[in-house]
Amino acid sequence: MSIDALLQSIQASPVAAAIRGELPGTEWLFPIVETLHVIALTLVVGSIAMIDLRLLGVVSRASPVSRLSKEVLPWTWIAWCVAALFGSLLFTSNARAYAGNLQFQLKFTCMALAALNMLIFQFGAFRRVERWDLGEPARSAKVAGALSLLLWIGVVFFGRWVGFTVTT
Amino acid sequence: MLRPLAEWLAETPLSKTLSEQAWVVPTSQSIHILAVAAVFASALMINLRLLGVGAKGRRVSELSDTLIPWMWRGLAVLLLTGTIQTLAEPVRQFVTPAFWAKMTMIVVVTAMTILFVRALRRNSPLWDDGSSRPPQAKIFAVVSTLMWLAIIVCGRFIAYTWASYA
Repeated sequence: MSIDALLQSIQASPVAAAIRGELPGTEWLFPIVETLHVIALTLVVGSIAMIDLRLLGVVSRASPVSRLSKEVLPWTWIAWCVAALFGSLLFTSNARAYAGNLQFQLKFTCMALAALNMLIFQFGAFRRVERWDLGEPARSAKVAGALSLLLWIGVVFFGRWVGFTVTT
Repeated sequence: MLRPLAEWLAETPLSKTLSEQAWVVPTSQSIHILAVAAVFASALMINLRLLGVGAKGRRVSELSDTLIPWMWRGLAVLLLTGTIQTLAEPVRQFVTPAFWAKMTMIVVVTAMTILFVRALRRNSPLWDDGSSRPPQAKIFAVVSTLMWLAIIVCGRFIAYTWASYA
C-alpha cells in the first residue's frame, strides 16, 4: 500500500469523518479535540521549559537537576501522550493535506530533533548528572537545554501555522 | 455599543496595518500559546502541590517563589500579544461572548492568585506545613485550575464561534 493510499484510507475512516463533523452530533468535535490538544501541548512545552531553563542555569540552581526532572517529567509524558492522541485524531480528519503541508512537516522535524536531543542528553551529560546536579550546569547540559527550548518553540510556531496554511 | 467601538477600531491605521500583514496574527498567536504554556504549567504545578499530588518534597513557598514570577511574565506577554490580536481583529473579539467570558475569568483568576501570593508571603510556614495549611489552599487549587482550563477553552472557541455573532 502506498503512503498516499494509506493517508487516503485514514481520511476515509469513520473516525476522520466524525472529527470533520460530518456525522450526526459531531459538529463540535474538531474544536473540542483541538482545544484538548492545545491544553495538553501547553503542559508539554511549559513543563519541558522548566527543565530547559534549569539546564541553562537560569532558574533554581540551588535545587538539583535530577530532582526537578523526577518531579516534572512524569507530567510531561502524560501530557505528551494526551497531546499525541488528540493530535492524531486531528490528523486523521485531513491526513493527505496535513502530511503534504510544509509547516506540518517542519513541526515534526522539530519534534524529531527534540527527541534526538533528549536521547543524546539522556545517554550523555545526564549520566554524569551528579557532577553538575547543583550550581552551574555542564556545558553539554546547557547546549541540550537551549536546543530543547528552541526546538519546542519551533514545534509551537509551526503547529500554529499549520492551522493557517493547510488547505481543506 | 461594543460593535461600533470595534468597527471604529478596525478603521484605525494601526488596526489596518496589523490585519494587512498576514504574518502578524499567526506569529502573535504562536507567542501567545508559548506564554499560555508558561502560565498554565506553572499554575498547575503549584496547584498540584497544594492538592498533595505533585512535587511533594518541595515547600509551597519554594515552588511559588520560582514559578509565580514566570506566571506574571507570561501574563504580561499574553496581555501584549492578546492586545495585538484584538487590535488586528477587533470585531472578532468584541462581539464574541467567549472573549468576554475569557477576560472576566482572567481578571478573577489573577485577583485570586494575587491574594494567594499575599497570604503565602504573610505566613509561609503556615502554608508550607501540610497539617496547618488553610483549607482554602485546596479550594484555590481546584478553582484556579478549572478557571485556567476554561480560559484556554474560551480562547480557542473565539475562533469557532465569532462568525455566528459577527
